[in-house]
This record gives sequence, C-alpha cells and structure tokens, in this order.
Amino acid sequence: MLGNWKLREVVVMSVLAVVFGVIYLLFLQLGNVLVGMFGLIGYDLIFGIWFIVSIIAAYIIRKPGAAVMSETIAAAIEVMLGNAVGPRLILAGIIQGLGAEAAFAATRWKNYSLWVLVAAGMGSSVTSFVWGYFLGGFSALSPGYVTAMFIVRLASGAILAGLLGKYISDSLARTGALNSFPIGKEVRKAKQNHEISA
Amino acid sequence: MLLNEMNPSIKALSIVVGILMLSFFFDPVTPLLSFLLTIAITFIFGKVSFKKWIFLFLPFLFMAVVYVWSALLFPRVDPGDHILWEWQFITVTEEGLERSISLGLRVLSFASLSLLFALTTNPIHFLLSLMQQCRLSPKIAYSIMAGYQFLPLMKEEMEIIRGAHRVRGAGRSHTLSDKIKQIKKYAIPLLASGIRKAERTAIAMESKGFTGEPNREFYKVIPVTKKDWLLSCMLIGVVILSVYVSFKLGHLSLYRGEL
Repeated sequence: MLGNWKLREVVVMSVLAVVFGVIYLLFLQLGNVLVGMFGLIGYDLIFGIWFIVSIIAAYIIRKPGAAVMSETIAAAIEVMLGNAVGPRLILAGIIQGLGAEAAFAATRWKNYSLWVLVAAGMGSSVTSFVWGYFLGGFSALSPGYVTAMFIVRLASGAILAGLLGKYISDSLARTGALNSFPIGKEVRKAKQNHEISA
Repeated sequence: MLLNEMNPSIKALSIVVGILMLSFFFDPVTPLLSFLLTIAITFIFGKVSFKKWIFLFLPFLFMAVVYVWSALLFPRVDPGDHILWEWQFITVTEEGLERSISLGLRVLSFASLSLLFALTTNPIHFLLSLMQQCRLSPKIAYSIMAGYQFLPLMKEEMEIIRGAHRVRGAGRSHTLSDKIKQIKKYAIPLLASGIRKAERTAIAMESKGFTGEPNREFYKVIPVTKKDWLLSCMLIGVVILSVYVSFKLGHLSLYRGEL
C-alpha cells in the first residue's frame, strides 16, 4: 500500500492525523452536548468533522490510500490518547476512510476538485452510517427517524468534511508550508497567473 | 495472568470480535450479562484503578440513556406489537421497550469491553505489537510515534502564538463570529508548523539510516504466549456464555436483517 510513498509524505500524513485525532476527541465532547439536546441525531449534525482528515490528507498528498490511512491513524491516535471507545474505533476509522477513498478511487486519484472532495465527505457519511446502523442497532428505531439521521449526516459530511477540508488545506497551502506537495505548486501557479494578469 | 501484560494486538482483536458478536442481539439479557462478566474480568485480572474506571464510564452511561430515550421516542413499530402506553405521538410497545433497554445495555457492554482495553494497554506497546504481530509497516508505526511526540510541542507552540497575538493587541474576541475567526488564526499556523516539523523529522529519520524495511529487529519484543489465547477465549467466551444463558431463559432475540 505504501509502494510509492516517500517517508516525508508518511510523516506529514501521521502528523495531520495526530492533530485531527486530538480535534476529533474535542468534538466528541461537543457531540455529547448535542446528543443531550437533540437525541441521537445530535451526533449526525457534526459527524462530518470526523471525516475531515481523509479529505485534507488526500487533497494534500494525492496518492492512493491517503484518505483511508490518515483516518485510520487518527482513530488509532484517539485510542492511544486514552479514548475509552477503544479498539473498535480503529475499525470505524478504516470504514469511514474507505468511503472517502472510494470517491477518490472513482476518479483514479487524479481529480481533486471541490465536487470530488464533497463526494468523498459524503462517501464517508454513507459507510459510517451503514456501520453505525449495524453496531448501534438503529433497526430498533423508526424508519423515518433513521432516514432523517442519514440525510443530516450526508449534509454534514459534505459541508464539514468536504467544504471545510478544502478551505483548511487551501489556507495551509497559502502559508507556503506545502510547497513541496502538488497542492503547493497549484497555489503558486495560481498566484503567478494572478500577478501576470494584474 | 495480568491483563496489563497481555499482547495488545490479540487483546484488541478479541474485543472487536466480542463487540461484533454482541451487535447481533436485541434482547436485554445478553448485553447485561456480558457487561457484568467483563467488569468482573477487568477487576479480577487487571490492575485498574476503580476511580479512573468510573470516571471514564460515566459518559457511556449518559450515552446509554440517550439511546434508550431516542429508541423510546422514535421506536420501530411492527404490526402485532403489544401497545403498553400511548400519548399524543408517543407509542410505547412491549417489544419497543425491550429493544430500547437492550440498546442502552449494548452501549454499556461495549463500554466495559473497551475500557478493559483502554485501561490496561500502553499505547507504545500497542504500536510495537501491531508492527510485530500484524505486519504494520514500520514507516507508518514510527511516523505515528513521531507525531505522537509532537503533541506536547504543539501545546507549547500554541502558547507562543497566543503570546504573539497578545503583544500585538490582537486576540480579544467578543462576538461568536470573531471567535470562529480566532480558531483559524491558531489552527493554520499550528498545522503549518506541524507539517514543517514533520518534513524535518522525515529527513532526520532517513539520514540516521531508517529505511522502513519490514524485516527489522526490535529492541522491545512483544511476545505472544498461550496466556494471550486463553484471554482471547475468555473474552469471546463471555459473549457466548451470555448468549447461551439468555437463550435458556427464553429471552434471546436476534437481528433478523430488518431495515
């Protein structure tokens, strides 16, 4: 899976996963507050944030496996930091990452435009929901409520993972920290074109 | 046999298998029994502080309550269910009540298994074991360890950024939209410096001869012994025993592929 990966890319992916692993844990607290207010659908409102590292890592590194591996590592970091959800979280990370990876695979890992990133976010929503349906026993809930949960999660994946992920990666590229990655070259080219036309 | 010394990979795998098995049952007895038995194993075989266990367990208790009331407010109602109580749009059926209590107990049984792992496992040993037993690429495993060590550095950097903002008179936010912009002012520089540090770390690793070769030797060897398989059988046995008792008591209710 790591065939043509450089060590530099692996370490950058791991660091992204570590940072977002911490952010994921913080959002778990927010999720618990929302769940207290709205019931189970509360998690779905912010579920997209838990897919964001897939989108960011894939968009920056642009190699097969970036989405699924980064999400899995972020989950592993949550476990290492002592999250009580334990090893099954890693399995959930793999499943969420596979949803995003599927969207990138469909473009043969060549297209990283906004709509692909949004589709990747929604892909994670779909796989994570199927997993949650089974593990959480959602079949005991009324079909209408489950449908509402699914729609909210899809929207959350599109916005909080797809759109926000692109926004964060683009902001990062503008700082110059990503200059050795394809995304950094893209941003520089855009800047040059802008200067020429101006 | 001390849980804290068992092989982390095998412990993790057995727990995940146990959780997957529990997901098939919708009666209250199976998860309740598994929950109690797992707690017993945790405290008999593990060196676990009770206070810490309770502290980490409370959020799950809260989640279990949310599950129960969500399932009670929005239950699946099949034709032929016995209605216990009806008020406005809320219908409580005998089957629905049983299923919602089962879902709540399921959360608790998952929690007890997960806590058994979380409270008895050293994270670095877990990574070493994943490399030695599950053939996780050393490139990934050592990158994760490097990233894990960045966390305290990032905390320090956060303080520096905060100080820099304060010196320039920025950093006071009152409205909500200001506060959201504030997050960006911290997050982007933190991530940028994290990425720069990651690239430097990768260069340092390579210059010291790290190739990421899978056939490497380890300073700390994480062994697999017979005791590990015994623990594995015990954890999965807990689930099987719970299912058997529930079946004998005539409670057992399986997931039948309803959508």
